[in-house]
Amino acid sequence: MRLKNYWLVALLFISLSSCWDFNNRNLPPPESRTKVLGHKPVYGTEVFAKGILYSPIPLPVINGGNIYAFNNFLFQVENGYGIHVIDNTNPSNANRIGFITIKGCSQLSIKNDKLYANSYDDLVVLDFSNLNSIQIVSRLNGVFTEYRYGSPIAEPPVSGYYECPRSDSFVVKWVSDSVYQSCYKQ
Amino acid sequence: MKKLSFTLFLLSLLSVIFLSCEKNGADAASSASGTGKGGSLAKFTIVGNYIYAVSSHYLYTVDISNPANPTKVNQSALSFDMETIYPYKNRLYIGSRTGLYVYSIDTASSPRLIGEAKHGRSCDPVVANDSVSYSTLKGNSFCGPATSGLYVYDVKNTNNPVLKKTIPINEPIGLGIADSALYVCCSGDGLKVYNINDGYNPVERQTISGNYFIDVIPYDDLLICWTKDGIRLYNITNRLSPQFIKLIAN
Repeated sequence: MRLKNYWLVALLFISLSSCWDFNNRNLPPPESRTKVLGHKPVYGTEVFAKGILYSPIPLPVINGGNIYAFNNFLFQVENGYGIHVIDNTNPSNANRIGFITIKGCSQLSIKNDKLYANSYDDLVVLDFSNLNSIQIVSRLNGVFTEYRYGSPIAEPPVSGYYECPRSDSFVVKWVSDSVYQSCYKQ
Repeated sequence: MKKLSFTLFLLSLLSVIFLSCEKNGADAASSASGTGKGGSLAKFTIVGNYIYAVSSHYLYTVDISNPANPTKVNQSALSFDMETIYPYKNRLYIGSRTGLYVYSIDTASSPRLIGEAKHGRSCDPVVANDSVSYSTLKGNSFCGPATSGLYVYDVKNTNNPVLKKTIPINEPIGLGIADSALYVCCSGDGLKVYNINDGYNPVERQTISGNYFIDVIPYDDLLICWTKDGIRLYNITNRLSPQFIKLIAN
């Protein structure tokens, strides 16, 4: 009976020591682990990340998102970066005319010349009655609790490996780089 | 007697003035509602003085009666994966990965779940009118095993949506209604146009193929389509026969 117990202890020791061996010898230290081509987050200060700016220069659509119609305007979200503005006064000649930078943006809605959008988990209200001087009417912080890490900018725009972003910082863009295989987007 | 008839005259004059004011008031109110229109994949919508927004597990309500000072008035935690929100009259139709959910906003500041129709796991935007709601279910590896297609629900009793019909479609996504027409985006298979004069029995009229359609907004006589390579505009003066106007290329 007692002998059996010794055997069990010995077995346990052997199996544990094999774990020890594995952890220390078979896996290389992190810095020598192979990197793959993927995406790396670029962080910005909160003030920079939450800055809002209208530029009357049309930008190409890279990762287009939700669309919205209001009077003679159309809008399309550029997932994670802002909103394209389209002049639709004459549909046969409709074109993008500018871009509102709202980082962390994925949704918008409009009422009475006030544009409501999310910027990360905040609600921002913009007055665009005069397109050339878009005014920030208000900003309500942290309204949409799940939008911060569920924000389209929390992931790179394309599938593949990426460096998991820090949760205490604001991702303002993604760049191609060699990264450890810490996060993966399908 | 003379005095009385004069009083009556004054009263009727007043009531005429009052009625005409009332009319102006109503007109002003409808233009003052002043909201735009989003696609069926939207997670944000404005009804009256409130923004309703969904994320995977929450429905948020924000009072925007004073845009300079918006106030969050409600956040309901829900156990299903919500994907989209579509307002119709005093109801919110919420598409989720597990079913169709109907909320009453009779009390605008606190939406209340009043009806649901569960289905297998799948992605699920929804549009509706008085008697019928249409959902597309996209059963794939990401969204689950439910049968892909157009799902037609009787919602005359919003407390109990009843599945009336399913029409198999490979990979449907966004959809939109304009009077007697239903537009369904079918990914790489194009845009399908259905006649919904008989709401529970959509009849396919045509497919606009050759492009990857994601979502649509019928906006008066204009059909705004989000396609993979840009925004496509169609004239839908004839609802069942969209005429191409322009591609705003990415």
